Amino acid sequence: MSFFNRADYFDLPYWQNGPAPGSLYHFPDFTTNFNSDAIQRTQSPMVTGTSVVGMQFKDGIIIAADVLASYGSLARFRNCERVIKVNDNIILGAGGDYADYQYLRSLIEQKILDEQCLDDGFKLKPKSLHCWLTRVMYNKRSSFDPLWNNFIIGGIEDDQLYLGTVDKLGTAFTDPVISTGYGAYLATPIIAKAYEANSQMTEKEATDLIYKVMQVLFYRDARSFPKYHLGIITKEKGIEIRGPISIVTDQ
Amino acid sequence: MFLTRSEYDRGVNTFSPEGRLFQVEYAMEAIKLGWTAIGICTSEGVVLAVEKRTTSFLMEPTMVEKIVEVDKHIGCVSSGLMADSRTMIDRARVECQNHWFTYNEKMSVESTIQAVSNLAIQFGDSDNDGSAMSRPFGVALLFAGIDEKGPQLFHMDPSGTFVQFDAKAIGSGSEGAQQSLQEVYHKSMTLKEATKAALKILKQVMEEKLNDTNIEVMSMTPETKFHIFTKEELQEVIGNLPESRDVSLKSRSNISRPSIRTSVSVKS
Amino acid sequence: MSLIQDYIPRNLPDYATQAPKQFQFNPYADNGGSVVALAGDDFSLIAADTRLSTGYSIYSRKQEKLFKLSDTTVLGCSGCWCDILTLTRVISARMQIYQHEHHKTMTTSATAQMLSTMLYYKRFFPYYVSNILAGLDNDGKGCIYRYDPVGHCEKNTYVAGGSAGALLQPLLDNQVGYLNQENVEKIPLTKDKALSVVKDVFISAAERDIYTGDGITIKIITKDGITEEKFDLRRD
Repeated sequence: MSFFNRADYFDLPYWQNGPAPGSLYHFPDFTTNFNSDAIQRTQSPMVTGTSVVGMQFKDGIIIAADVLASYGSLARFRNCERVIKVNDNIILGAGGDYADYQYLRSLIEQKILDEQCLDDGFKLKPKSLHCWLTRVMYNKRSSFDPLWNNFIIGGIEDDQLYLGTVDKLGTAFTDPVISTGYGAYLATPIIAKAYEANSQMTEKEATDLIYKVMQVLFYRDARSFPKYHLGIITKEKGIEIRGPISIVTDQ
Repeated sequence: MFLTRSEYDRGVNTFSPEGRLFQVEYAMEAIKLGWTAIGICTSEGVVLAVEKRTTSFLMEPTMVEKIVEVDKHIGCVSSGLMADSRTMIDRARVECQNHWFTYNEKMSVESTIQAVSNLAIQFGDSDNDGSAMSRPFGVALLFAGIDEKGPQLFHMDPSGTFVQFDAKAIGSGSEGAQQSLQEVYHKSMTLKEATKAALKILKQVMEEKLNDTNIEVMSMTPETKFHIFTKEELQEVIGNLPESRDVSLKSRSNISRPSIRTSVSVKS
Repeated sequence: MSLIQDYIPRNLPDYATQAPKQFQFNPYADNGGSVVALAGDDFSLIAADTRLSTGYSIYSRKQEKLFKLSDTTVLGCSGCWCDILTLTRVISARMQIYQHEHHKTMTTSATAQMLSTMLYYKRFFPYYVSNILAGLDNDGKGCIYRYDPVGHCEKNTYVAGGSAGALLQPLLDNQVGYLNQENVEKIPLTKDKALSVVKDVFISAAERDIYTGDGITIKIITKDGITEEKFDLRRD
């Protein structure tokens, strides 16, 4: 028996086992431990969230993600929050495998809790969380057991705005405009253009822009949903998680 | 004073109420039984000299190797338990080669002795493999080397403490020798003068009569690196030593074996 | 004919078994980027573009890929960005440990050798990084070291690496090394010449290589310290 099966390596359809035109839905065939010592690891995401978008504006950071968690082509869970407040300094948006995100969220929550127990007034800063997340993601990818996520971290550190991202490999960088998934193709050009024209947007201008962008994503990304959450962090008002905000469609 | 130490000299992990580690102090006593070794550091280079005590005339004196090369630029002489020194010198050699492998440069003399010190203080450490050291090393070491800081001489005792010296003597004759070194040493000493001084002092403290087989001398300059004196070179230095009161040096340097026999008989 | 048939991807879920399937998650990504380094008698110059990309999409246009390791050593990296992040952090840590252990700063040649051994120790799960190390040697002379991902190291005076490396190296051979020319006067490289060559070379790379663009950062290493210069490239 050969372990090398070409079909597994080349040209797998983007969403495995989605219904071919005119055929019935076929559930993904899980490979479970079957008379073997092989360990099952995440080889592809199962229940997934789509794009996350984030940008800087005049006095804060805004991150948005819709509320859908898809199971392949099935719109499985329709009320999943993917933008959270980590602490008073940091907001976090997550895309990709929802279970992996929940696992990491519990790790982060425990971390914050441990920190509060010390009661030394120290609070995790966005740069530190970004670096820590990068190490976690890189270590998981190095053990061939990746956390299948894209994260966007936003925050304020020493009165400076901070917006960074990490993916499942541990690829990390900072930029004033970041989007993941289909957002990289559909949202980034719109946001980057607006940001280059005016990098000092007000909160209102920023939320309006994000609304437009989420609308565009909903129109073209088949795994998106017309409801999203906004995470906004500003120097004056701190963190606000807004939503779910509904997208009014033209049709 | 030894009688009072009954409780706290058993383990290396227990301090005495006065704050002493007796096993370490006893280890230092072991050095006082060892052969005398002298090191002198000058601006030109550094020299090591050591006596080779031959306990029997049947022993092959050339087989006794007291001054060893750690790396091309570092030499080492020990006094005390010879076998213990082998372990430490092994570590020094490995660290030097490892440093060269990783950084493609010579390891500095201080870093080398620091590495050996890290080994020396592991006595009493327990680990899961059960490979802990049971006692301190019973040796003192003199490291002579040249790196980018120039010629250097370091001394390390069984506690792992190491100190840099201009001139240092260890072993059974160390007290007298150190006294003499203090009198004779000056900063502008040449290497030749230092070699001569080292042998002169060694001659004073040795029980046997000094000749070209019962001593070992190493000199090091930035150009020559580690160099052990040949018999001829030894004879030349010995020939230049001032005549001692009782015996003429020249007559002794020519014939070696009979002189050993006499020295053995003197000892017994 | 049958060979080609074999390559047609098949997805036949009805025939799937419960036996474990071997599916390789790819831990590497190619995030592009190019690095060029030139050495003169009393200086070293290293430049890298600032585009971070994957496939056809650009992650960032302002990503620094030059890492100052000491006052005389700069490392330029391109390839798998997550490996670059990790590798450069490990190098910094190792250099700090060296500083504490040996009470001196690592020289360029020591750093070069250490990088080689570090890469080789990960021979069977390599850092997918193309490294170029530029600096001054112990005599204050400019020197460049280039690496492959598994630790092969070679000392040069001019090097191009990364996604446009193969494109640029022959150009440098000709313009800096005066190779493949007849009756040519070999003028020693000056700082001004090096600077203009680097700019020209990157403009050319940005024209032909989609993974190189947006801008470059140039670091010039002399005995007086490291100076930095920036230069814009096309952003498409």
